[in-house]
Amino acid sequence: MTAPVLEVRGLSVSFGGLRAIDNVSFAVARNRVTTVIGPNGAGKSTLFNLISGAVPAAGGKVLIDGTDHTGHTPNHLQAAGLARSFQITNLFFELTVAENLRLAAQILEPMRMALRPVTASRVALARVDELLERFDLTEKRAMPVSKLSHGEQRRLEVAVALAGKPKILLLDEPTQGMSHGDTADTAHLIKSLASDVTVLLIEHDIGLVMSLSDTVIVMHQGRKLAEGTPEAVRGNPDVQSAYFGHA
Amino acid sequence: MVDALTRSMRASHILVAILVVASLIFAVIGVANGDTFYLRLGTEALIFAGLALSVDILLGYTGLLSLGQALYFGLGAYVSALVLMVTPSFWAATGAALGVAMVVGAVGGFIANRVRGVYFALITFGMAQVAAKVVYNTRALGASDGLIGVPIIQINFGFAAISSASPAGFFLFTLAFIVILYAFAAYLLDTPFGRLLIALKANERRVPFLGYDTVTPRLLAYMIAAVIAALSGALYPMLRGFVSPELLFFSTSGNAVITVVTGGVGTLVGALYGGILLTLLKSVVGSYTEHHLVVIGVLFMGAVIFLPRGLMGIVRPAIERMLARRMKS
Repeated sequence: MTAPVLEVRGLSVSFGGLRAIDNVSFAVARNRVTTVIGPNGAGKSTLFNLISGAVPAAGGKVLIDGTDHTGHTPNHLQAAGLARSFQITNLFFELTVAENLRLAAQILEPMRMALRPVTASRVALARVDELLERFDLTEKRAMPVSKLSHGEQRRLEVAVALAGKPKILLLDEPTQGMSHGDTADTAHLIKSLASDVTVLLIEHDIGLVMSLSDTVIVMHQGRKLAEGTPEAVRGNPDVQSAYFGHA
Repeated sequence: MVDALTRSMRASHILVAILVVASLIFAVIGVANGDTFYLRLGTEALIFAGLALSVDILLGYTGLLSLGQALYFGLGAYVSALVLMVTPSFWAATGAALGVAMVVGAVGGFIANRVRGVYFALITFGMAQVAAKVVYNTRALGASDGLIGVPIIQINFGFAAISSASPAGFFLFTLAFIVILYAFAAYLLDTPFGRLLIALKANERRVPFLGYDTVTPRLLAYMIAAVIAALSGALYPMLRGFVSPELLFFSTSGNAVITVVTGGVGTLVGALYGGILLTLLKSVVGSYTEHHLVVIGVLFMGAVIFLPRGLMGIVRPAIERMLARRMKS
């Protein structure tokens, strides 16, 4: 039994009296896909914001590989191996696809490369080519992100989060607004990522959640309502009442 | 494999090369005609182009509008004048200006970078105003008169020397000096460090999630701009033999912003062309009417409305396309 790669203990935050996240604890197993589901306003994105350091937590702990990283800034968490994507595409829109990836991949280079010409950063540039290939964006490499289709932007959002070779990848609704075909492709991609990255996912498409996840965490009104395998969660009466209300 | 940003920088290099050739022709014509006035005016244009260059590093690459860049320009000019009056050495004067600009730039950057957007503009404006008032009211610095009687110097390279009194000699020296400042800025902005500044301009909030600290790069950009402004300012007393508090006033900062916007924000070379254009316009229009600021103002408004990307915003993309074609074939 190895230590969980990511562990959250008693995480809490309030916004103006509203307990947005209330004492949430869970552990994420290495190289598995763990999916957070829940109705709108359940606190899924807020949970991601707390874990990724975007919003400071009022209470609780975040541990990466058993080390306490509570209250660390996003750049320190990235160095500890945690990266994230955003629900609303958050990229450098006027820059090219390749430059977006290079910015993210440059972190793989030692500090001294920062003052050498960009072309000298071979490791970063090789990573860019690899990701362009894997995410089927090679033909769009010289295009500004603003000119991409919505689906392509969503794919790039995941690719940028992955570029720095994180141990843990938080994906906030990667298929948001995607067509059915694109959603299926993205599901396939996420599944393939899990061979070397631990994925924590927020997803609305229940079919995708069931086929993709090793573990499902159900959030409801800022609390963790249930946790288990997809089958166990689906059969849980509490989950059914949270989603569909009382009969 | 050269990407779009490197290609635009190369297009800027070509435009700088054209400017250098034109300046050399201008110098030859000046010498042939025994001219002093236009060579001195050209030198002043280049000095103010150096100030505009520093504004473009902040505005065009880091996304920070400084309305107080005259603080560092004036600082460089005063430090240089004070040193020259003690010891007439070019290297001592520019060395001192460089050192003081780094220290003051670090302090100013620490203060100004605590805020963003319009507040950043206001703080930079405020800091420059405070400095201008202090200089204006300090007798030791000549108060409202400024410092007069900066001696003519020999800029010594060991193998040769240039006199700051020689119109063509000092013009060519200033040209080389400003081109070196440009080359330094252009090199830096095409490294991963420079690209990080561009990323900060494009979407600052995303940068920390890529693993980068945002405070240090922004502070470094501010300090680099302070140093370039101060080094440009350090040449001013060598050219004119005096410094005055006007160098620190808002009109100097504002003119630098107008220069960059007219020349083309985020191109570096636009600051150089804009600086020359604006200085020439001021002089030419100023010889017909004392209300030359009205004309400059109208031209600026015209530039913003009809050339929102500035002069280089039109010229440079054409050169970029040419470079792209050549690389393919």
